[in-house]
Order: sequence, then structure tokens, then C-alpha cells
Amino acid sequence: MEEKKKLLTVCHACDALQDVSHIPKGNIASCVCCGVRLFKNSKSIIESPLAFLVACAIFFIIANIYPVIQLNIAGIERETTLIETTYIIFIEGSPILATIVGLSSVVFPAFCVFSLLYVFLSIYFNKNWSLTRPLLVWVSQLLPWVMMDVYLLAILVAIVKLVSLANVILGIGFSALVGFVIFYAAAISSIEMHMLWTRLDKNCNGEQCEQ
Amino acid sequence: MNNKIIRAKDLGLASCHICDLVVKLDDNKTANCPRCNSKIHYRKHDSINRAWAFLISAFIMYIPANTEAIMVTGALGQENADTIISGIFYFLAHGDWPLALVIFSASVLLPLLKMISIGYLLIMVHRGSELRKKEKTRLYVIAEVIGKWSMVDVFVVALLTSLIQLGELSYITPGPAGLAFAAMVILTMFSAMAYDPRLLWDKSEED
Repeated sequence: MEEKKKLLTVCHACDALQDVSHIPKGNIASCVCCGVRLFKNSKSIIESPLAFLVACAIFFIIANIYPVIQLNIAGIERETTLIETTYIIFIEGSPILATIVGLSSVVFPAFCVFSLLYVFLSIYFNKNWSLTRPLLVWVSQLLPWVMMDVYLLAILVAIVKLVSLANVILGIGFSALVGFVIFYAAAISSIEMHMLWTRLDKNCNGEQCEQ
Repeated sequence: MNNKIIRAKDLGLASCHICDLVVKLDDNKTANCPRCNSKIHYRKHDSINRAWAFLISAFIMYIPANTEAIMVTGALGQENADTIISGIFYFLAHGDWPLALVIFSASVLLPLLKMISIGYLLIMVHRGSELRKKEKTRLYVIAEVIGKWSMVDVFVVALLTSLIQLGELSYITPGPAGLAFAAMVILTMFSAMAYDPRLLWDKSEED
């Protein structure tokens, strides 16, 4: 379909203009000048990210309902969920810290996962829902601030610190969080923003990119 | 096209940083992307100054982040303040060297390396250095990705605070370094985002 047309793209790292129309399906395009990865001409632009995102959303909900860690210190039971962690720091007198933790571990992940789900469902069912484009722009800017993987590492460190003090039980929330982190990584690495926008706007691509 | 590399800017073209669309910019040097409606510029706006400002603020925050207490532990009327470094020594003393290594890398080494990298890349733009641009570009890409892992200690303190709340018997609260640390991580991330690697490849850049 677009075999003969030149498909121009510009590298974000070095501004080199290059033709990417010859990249075969399933191959990764790297910049001819600086070698930075441009995009992958993915075989499944919509289906696999969508599948991973559905799994992410389910794990996210479970991880937020059930406690992540349960403690037993000298007969006193304590447990914490993701949201409770933020809430307790808030009332313990560090509202700014609570905001940072809450945004990067609950609000941004939730926003990104559910927005992406909306975007992919809209494309998958050819519905062209009105929020698709603005949400995709927002998500691209918020993705660096999603820190669930870092949070998981923090839980592991916290557990090691607590083992000497108390009896630590990993909750259902913890398992769900592990699932979330794995499927989130899979989803993010399978999403090709470049391809996605081209798909969203096939007409625009041919005309605008022609020099 | 095959052997000579053309810079988009020389042809009056620029790509949208959100959706990758290649757009022809007019003389006013800015346009709204017809596809996603984001602002498009040839280069990030005021990149060098903003990157330096964030970097210097981050470096200032790095000092209290390491000297002040990150966590205050209280038990039976006694309070004990822990800095990041004392936490690392605690783990070492208990034979938990893998954990000491994780904390040391994420909290002390990574932020320092990231700040040095961005500082170095900024100085290279000032000097207009022509050497090893490929490696410098790669350094930037790595520096951008690793930044968020330094947040690990902030999250550890957050988790411990929410779990250990047993009144007078035993409690943990975040120390002043917690906030300084989070601020440092966020500022270095802003600094990396403000930096424009394309400036390394521009011969004589005025804007």
C-alpha cells in the first residue's frame, strides 16, 4: 500500500531526516546517524498491547484492594495497601511526600493504564472515541512518572528490613503487584507510539510527510 | 540520501515530540501539530538554561538528601535518626551486602552519575565538541532511563512509615531527607527532559 511512497521520519536524538518505508514487518528501525532506536515495525500494533493492558488493569485493581504487606509484631497485626501508604504519610505530617508517593504509585499508573485501555479499545473496535487523541498525548507525557517497578523493589527492601522485627506475610496485593509490573513492562514495550499515531491518522501521514 | 545525513532543521522540517509527525515549520519557528495538537519547535525551548537550572537545584538537594535523616525510628520514648549512609552501614554490619549494594547504587551512586552525565553533556554542547557524538547520545538515553530508580529509598520510607505505627511502642516517621531526596530525583528527571540531545549534533546553534 505504502510501498512506493517515501515515509520520512526524524530522529528525536540527532534530527537526522530519513526514509523508513523499507523497514520490514517485525524489524526495529534505528537512526542511520546516531543509532538510537526509532520504532519497531510491529506485527501486532493493537492486539498484543491491548491484551497486556487488560491484564494490567485487572492486576491493578486487585493490587489496590488487597493489602500488600501484613505484619505481626508481638501479637499486633498491621497491614497496608497502596493507597493507605499514601494516606498514612499524609496524616503523619508529610503532605508533599505523600503527594509524590501517591501520584507516582497510584494516580499516574491508574491514569496511564486506563487511558491506554480506552485508546486501544477505541482503535480495536474502530470507534474513534473523541478522547483518544488527547488521552494519548497526556499518557506520552506521564509515562516517565509511573514508578510501580521502583515501588516493587522498595517493597522487597522494606520486607528485608522488617523480617528482623516482625512476622511478615505477603498479601494478595503483593502478588497482584508483581503481576502488574510484569504485564505493564510487556505492555509498554509492545506499544509503538509512532505506529499508533500513523494508524490513527492514515490520511495525514501520506500527505504531510511528503516533502 | 544514503551517505549524506540531512538534518530536518536545515530543510525547515521538525518532528512532533509526541506523535512523530514530520511538519514543515514556517518562519515563526513554531507550529501546532495537525495530528495531536502539541506545540512543535525545532529544538526544545531554552533547553540549555533550563537543564542547567534543574541540574544545579538537584545537586543542592543531593546534599541534605545524604546528610539529613531519611527516617526517624522511635521506640519506647527513644528516637533514632537514620541517614541513607548509616542505613547502608547497618545492612553491611548485618551481612546483607546485596541489599547494601542495591541501596548504595540506587540512592548514592545513580543520582551522582546521572548528574555528572547531564553536566558533562551540557558542557559538551557549550564547547561544540565534535567527538564521539554517538556515545554521548547513548549516554543521554541511558541517563534518562535510570533516573527514576533513585526513588526506591523514598518508597521504602513511605512503606515503613505506614506499617510501623504502634503508638508509643514503636513508630517510624519520614525525616527531612525524604523530601530532599524526592525533590532531587524529580529535579534530575526534569533536567534530563529539558536537555536536547540534538544540540550535540548542531554545528552552530543560535536558538
